[in-house]
Amino acid sequence: MSSTLGSAIDASASALDAQRVRMEVAVSNLANAESTRSADGQPYRRRDVVLESNSFGAALGDPVQATGVRVAGVLEDQSEFQRRYEPTHPDADKDGFVAVPNVNVPEEMVDMLGAARAYQANLNAISLIRDTIQRALELAK
Amino acid sequence: MGEIRNDAAVMAALGRQMTRAVQRQAVAAGNLANLDTPGYQTKEVRFTDALDDHLQGGVTVAVTNKAHLGGPAGSASGPESGNAAGLQSRRDGNNVQLDRELLAMGKAASDFSAAQTILAAKFRLVRYAINEGR
Repeated sequence: MSSTLGSAIDASASALDAQRVRMEVAVSNLANAESTRSADGQPYRRRDVVLESNSFGAALGDPVQATGVRVAGVLEDQSEFQRRYEPTHPDADKDGFVAVPNVNVPEEMVDMLGAARAYQANLNAISLIRDTIQRALELAK
Repeated sequence: MGEIRNDAAVMAALGRQMTRAVQRQAVAAGNLANLDTPGYQTKEVRFTDALDDHLQGGVTVAVTNKAHLGGPAGSASGPESGNAAGLQSRRDGNNVQLDRELLAMGKAASDFSAAQTILAAKFRLVRYAINEGR
């Protein structure tokens, strides 16, 4: 029983981790929404988190185990840069256009909100599981 | 009440109820963890299968409530978890519903709590008997 509850806490904790990464990536996308130069000389490319489910208990042969989640990778969004007419900008091309990052601010805000809600839900789950463990321990009193 | 022969049977049934509640909670926690995983399908514990397994084992069922599972405490057949049916998938192929999973967790927690309270009361009675009513 405790291993089932243990796997449940592990799964929720892995989700907290994954959602935190999602939040960090959304924040760095927002922070760099106007960065026209990055390490490779190009404007900043929007990053995206890829999540993947990860079964902890499958190897142990227990059919009822919580499935965790993990970050499979952080990928760069290869969509086109936006072009903005701004002739006075130092990075403007000869026609006066500046390539600005392919970051869509409202989209990042929604993503952050989703990550925050999911984080909260998993935190809630952990406290419920802790309550269950506490109740189980009370039997020994 | 004729089916309940002794305290041990009741305690075993309560123990099973607690185990089931924990399993439901673990599966719901896994679903919550995968709230945003593309392609993830909601999992659930299959109780009817577990019940059938118990009944086909030819054991006498001692139940204190219609919702309890009977059978001996150390039954070999365990419950399976499978994909939940009848849920609408989102565009990324994920069909986890936040409210459904939180509700399942809360319900499992209160089921566990109820069984724990009764089991603790049972233990108190047994202890009372052992101490000859002192």
